[in-house]
Amino acid sequence: MAYDKKHAEHAPAGRHNGHSEEHLREKHLMLDPLPRGQMNDMVMESMLEKPTWKYWLVVGILSFIVVYFLFYKWSILIMKGQGEAGVMRPDYWGIFLVNTVFWIGISHAGTFISAILRVFRAEFRRPFTRAAELMTTFGLVQAGFSIFMHMGRVWLAYWLMPYPNQRMLWPNLHSPLTWDLLAITTYLLSSTMYLFLPLIPDVAMARDRSTGWRKTFYKTLALGFRGTEGEWTHLRNAMNIFAFAIIPVMFSVHTIVSWDFAAATRPGWSSTIFGPYFIVGALHSGMGAAIVVLAVIRGTMKHMKYFIRAEHFDAIGKLMLIISMAWAYFFFNDYMVQWYGGDKWTQQLLHFHEAGPMGWMWFAMLICNVAIPWAILWNPKWRATPWLVGTVGIIINVGMWFERYIIIPISVTINRMPFTWRLYEPGIEVPMGIGTVALFILLYMIASKLIPLIPVWEVQEGQMAHELKKFGRETVVSVSELE
Amino acid sequence: MTESKVDLLAVFPDLEPAANAIEHLRSIGVHDECMNIISGIPVTEAMLGRPSQWTNVPRIAMGGAILGFGAGFFLAFITPYLYPYPIKVSTQAFIPGPPTVVVLFELTMLGMLLSTFLGVFLDSFFPNYRPMKYVPEVSDGKIAILVECSHVEEKKVTDALKKMGAESVNPAEAQHL
Repeated sequence: MAYDKKHAEHAPAGRHNGHSEEHLREKHLMLDPLPRGQMNDMVMESMLEKPTWKYWLVVGILSFIVVYFLFYKWSILIMKGQGEAGVMRPDYWGIFLVNTVFWIGISHAGTFISAILRVFRAEFRRPFTRAAELMTTFGLVQAGFSIFMHMGRVWLAYWLMPYPNQRMLWPNLHSPLTWDLLAITTYLLSSTMYLFLPLIPDVAMARDRSTGWRKTFYKTLALGFRGTEGEWTHLRNAMNIFAFAIIPVMFSVHTIVSWDFAAATRPGWSSTIFGPYFIVGALHSGMGAAIVVLAVIRGTMKHMKYFIRAEHFDAIGKLMLIISMAWAYFFFNDYMVQWYGGDKWTQQLLHFHEAGPMGWMWFAMLICNVAIPWAILWNPKWRATPWLVGTVGIIINVGMWFERYIIIPISVTINRMPFTWRLYEPGIEVPMGIGTVALFILLYMIASKLIPLIPVWEVQEGQMAHELKKFGRETVVSVSELE
Repeated sequence: MTESKVDLLAVFPDLEPAANAIEHLRSIGVHDECMNIISGIPVTEAMLGRPSQWTNVPRIAMGGAILGFGAGFFLAFITPYLYPYPIKVSTQAFIPGPPTVVVLFELTMLGMLLSTFLGVFLDSFFPNYRPMKYVPEVSDGKIAILVECSHVEEKKVTDALKKMGAESVNPAEAQHL
């Protein structure tokens, strides 16, 4: 049953040559339906396929990294204290917070792809909404870990909870730290629920097709879903509410993260544009990560070439290009206003960014976030080439990590007290950061064997709504509003 | 003595014959309340000519938003007064405006989204692991119509469903999913 249509590999996504029916069907998943039972079987096979030795090797390596670099090193940090990390005056905020901001940024792709594209009825979103939503949940787990690492005395994290302690003192709910707690908790819970709701029909489908422990697992997750009119109505209503409501929540999370910096009167941080600048940056890295995940899923999992096609890389590539332009605009805007302001310390900091010992990072950031995406993503053929656009996604993420590194530890190096200036030298943070990356990939690999990565009922619903229509001699794609 | 009822489960290959069958059942006296449709993808009521389904999810969501707002109000406005003595910091406002908006917004949204999620559970009676009337073929694209009728009408309804293109019509039995 392997899907081996070679045309789907590299069908030119940007242009139609003659708009023949066959060509359009080859190009668009929505116009190329298979019998629904067969599609369900394909999704099940992609999950149930016996893992190869390469899979187990990667899982083994990642597990080792997670155990040693993340948990063992964390235990060292807890036992010996924050002296193990490179944070000291004036760089109290180091890689832990860089990683927190980075992972929250990654998590924005899920909501952007799933909620915003759902609200605007962008049909190309259908096969990869779940892959993106999983990124949101797993990314937020890493963000949570990173902020707990930064906290140091992590066993006292419950002090942030809004309840009165022994001295009848409540946490100050007007402090930016509690805003972070509220925003990240709200976003983590919301995105997990938003991941679970559309998953219910797919796990019900998996329940009907499995045996043994998997049957019990899917039966438990499916909650007794049958697909009655009432169940679909409640589910659809809830998903619509989520799609609209989670967008402002997503915007609020990264805006609040940006206020952790912008609310301070430090050189380089006190900026009114930090909110939208951070959001665009989050979308930039999030979309970059999403395209990497899609390229890997497509290249490694069975039948995925049917579901994830060149058209999807092309569509996300266009979004990445637009977001890259928006990021460049916000970066320049932020730079321009600070440069023009003429504050002595800010001037010093801007000079330090470009010509200081970490100047290479500043230039690399611009090359990774702007030059390379623009040079590659303008071309429809390159944009639709999975490995190439996936590589751009990795490069963007390197660039965005550099951006956060420049904003946080490099920027706190320069302050209004020159006698405290000191360049940040990370310690235990580096392996622990690598541990969060390994945990993210590991969680994703485990999830790919447990839950359907393709929201197959959404794909089938989309295929029902699409058809080809003739206008004169031209054949065009037509979409019906089914809801 | 009340008339005993039977549930019939008819499986149709596609939407069109299912919609026609529903119309036909109605014409022979089967009420809409006695029918339920089971499908593998969301099929709107309009497509099958069925009355609109009632859902409480938006109302539950609104209720959750109000509760969330209330929780935010408590944390932002009330808790500063719960200290044994008021903590006044320099010239800062005792209850500052803009930070309060952040707390109110986040908790309102959290309340709304949590209750939307719970609303699906409440309205759909999830989780439900009891035996239920179901046919797994619906996930392969079939449309199932579950009809409740009296024993007297069983044959008439079965014939009608078969005539309208049902692939199978069987008495529905509750089974563990």
